[in-house]
Amino acid sequence: MGLIGASCGLIEILLALLMRKSSGFKRSLAWVVLMVAGCVIAVGAMELALLQNNFSLAYVAGNSTIETPTIYKIATLWGALEGSLLLWALLLCGYVGAAAWCFRTKINDRLVAWSLATMLAVCVFFFGLLIGPASPFDTLTSVPLDGEGLNPLLRNHPLMAIHPVMLYLGYVGFTVPFAFAVGALITGRLGEGWLVATRTWTLIAWGCLSIGILLGAWWSYEVLGWGGYWAWDPVENASFLPWLTGTAFLHSVIVQERRGMLRVWNLSLLLATFALTIFGTFLTRSGVIDSVHEFSASSIGPLFLGFFAIIVVGSVFLVGWRGDRIRSPGSIDSPFSREGTFLANNFLFALFAFVVLLGTIFPLLVEAVSNEQIAVGRPYFDRMLMPIGLALLALMSVSPMLSWRSTSVTTLAGKLLGPAACGAGTMALSIALGAHGVWPVLGLGLGGSTLGSAAHQILIGTRRHGWKGIIGRTGGGMVAHIGIALIAFGFIASTAFSEEGEFVLQPGDSASVAGHEVTFVGVEDYFDGPNRVVSAQIKVEGRGTFSPAITRYPTFGRPISTPSVATSWVDDVYLSLAAIPDEGMDRITLRVLIKPLVVWIWMGGALIGLGTLLALIPNRREISKEDSPSSEVQEAKL
Amino acid sequence: MSRLQRYGWLSVLVVFVGSLAMAITNDDVPATIAERAYEIKANTLCPVCDGQNVLESNAPVAAAIRRQVDELIEEDRSDEEIHAYLARQYGQDVNAKPPGTGISSLVWIIPVLVAVLAVGVLSSSFKRWRSGRGKLVTDEDRELVRKLRDEP
Repeated sequence: MGLIGASCGLIEILLALLMRKSSGFKRSLAWVVLMVAGCVIAVGAMELALLQNNFSLAYVAGNSTIETPTIYKIATLWGALEGSLLLWALLLCGYVGAAAWCFRTKINDRLVAWSLATMLAVCVFFFGLLIGPASPFDTLTSVPLDGEGLNPLLRNHPLMAIHPVMLYLGYVGFTVPFAFAVGALITGRLGEGWLVATRTWTLIAWGCLSIGILLGAWWSYEVLGWGGYWAWDPVENASFLPWLTGTAFLHSVIVQERRGMLRVWNLSLLLATFALTIFGTFLTRSGVIDSVHEFSASSIGPLFLGFFAIIVVGSVFLVGWRGDRIRSPGSIDSPFSREGTFLANNFLFALFAFVVLLGTIFPLLVEAVSNEQIAVGRPYFDRMLMPIGLALLALMSVSPMLSWRSTSVTTLAGKLLGPAACGAGTMALSIALGAHGVWPVLGLGLGGSTLGSAAHQILIGTRRHGWKGIIGRTGGGMVAHIGIALIAFGFIASTAFSEEGEFVLQPGDSASVAGHEVTFVGVEDYFDGPNRVVSAQIKVEGRGTFSPAITRYPTFGRPISTPSVATSWVDDVYLSLAAIPDEGMDRITLRVLIKPLVVWIWMGGALIGLGTLLALIPNRREISKEDSPSSEVQEAKL
Repeated sequence: MSRLQRYGWLSVLVVFVGSLAMAITNDDVPATIAERAYEIKANTLCPVCDGQNVLESNAPVAAAIRRQVDELIEEDRSDEEIHAYLARQYGQDVNAKPPGTGISSLVWIIPVLVAVLAVGVLSSSFKRWRSGRGKLVTDEDRELVRKLRDEP
């Protein structure tokens, strides 16, 4: 089985050589088929080994057990380092295969050929890891009777089965636009053609990454028991960084399509996005940074760092080399125009990404320079990113209302009145509901005006074109904006207005936090195999009975608390047990958190997914609009 | 701007300023002991549990730090004194908020510098764009387009 992976890798190298001779483009497509087939066989073999409890494989023995439920056995493929690299390779093969299929008729185009070569070079790197330092198919000489099993945190919630796949679909998906950017730079053909072709790929990757990140947040909220969903943890940041640059790209690419501007910038964003996915993987996998996500630290860190360095150096070189040739024509006439706000949007996203990156690696830098150990935690990110976030919300409420080129102050005043009224109304409403503090209230207001302007755009679209008005890029984009506004509401309310209490309770005792009364009914103390589980029955007034639990696994150090959440549209009552009670005792220590509007975050995520889907549907109306003279010129160039 | 619009904006402004004023006055509660303790615990990382603060962590050392913070507050120590004490006891990296002095102040300063620099570059390119307006298409470009179009 390992051999198959190896042969794939070798074939890739051969192929790359072929490409350099710029002959046999067609033949390379056949090699892609072989590579995909090899990878599918390798993944199939691994899944089979997991399902059949084949403990002669070190990976299966280390991460699975006989007792593991089937769904988690399948998910064990991406539960640890080697397997997750295998999943990465599989998804990469999927993307490369799909891209090769889509562009099979254009393979003789040198740009497409170079792009394919770039993608295959990435494949070679990953297959190289899989056959060399991170082989999932290492065998054990003495076969154990049962495996060790995954970290229990990774096998107690079905979200864990989906979150990594979505996240990787996002991460890996950026390979295709990256490859096309490289291809465009090498051939020096930097018209809009390649952008239009790759925008769809970027959008798919972006949508998956958005959902993957939010699923991770949701998992953290439902499983980890600390009551939060986002901690500015290095690994969270690592997934957030490509999202930020990717989002910036999705906006600035519109400017390039419409006005032919910002080409160097857009290319750089794509290159940076891909580089950041590799950098993120380096951070996650190398163990250089303390993180709750260190489920699979290993020694392949330096290899990822090397790959990252090659990407960065190569990108800088390519942009420097072709920089002059891609200097864009056209100019931005007024800051009060759609493109002006897109520029501001890109500035803010880039700054946001820079702060996140700096905060993440700063402890490493300080330690390298001065041997001091410092931490950069949540207070830093909250303080630094809040103004940027609020500015982005403000832009989201203004930008959709502006027209291209320039807008006069009078028209602006008319157009912005609606969103401004929505914003002010939201502020007044939030005050009436008990919100306090300048920044949270201002943030909620800006969220309200974002909703207002997005709803306004959707209304205009649907009034003009019926239900079709919501399909396509504008409609999808606005739906995604509404999703972001909901997330902003949920984030602000649950961060600024959460309340909590910790209580020691006997059966029959009640406690009250922020008007919610919880009553402790009793405990169930039982053994699930070798694991001791204590599950408490807690009655939440008006919401039913919930059972947070805490489990002690003999194979795992500290007990793991599994929270239980009584959700409603308004607020969540989050229950978690603070410590495992002594055996035979029924006194518990219960943490109760009241988190307003958390459920809005998950709804916002669903809307972002929906918006992405809507934006992916080709819209005849928009396509005809795009036939502007500038794109004709570009097509002529192609 | 029509009269209606003017009234509209005026009322938006009134509601906006009113809400902000309410938000400020509502927030003006003196920091109680419980709030101070919460704030300090939220800004102190648990030394053994990878990025969680002591408020959230179930680890024994986190519980110990929570108790210590409560005791120190009762002894009437200031927030700064408590943070400094914890840093001496458990290392500087339990402090989730990097201090504004020494080398770690850079983490606060650099982003501001970068932002100012970027705004400078952007505004200068705006000036360049504005002065260069009207010369969007040069003869050279036209020649290039013509040549490419003529190609089979």
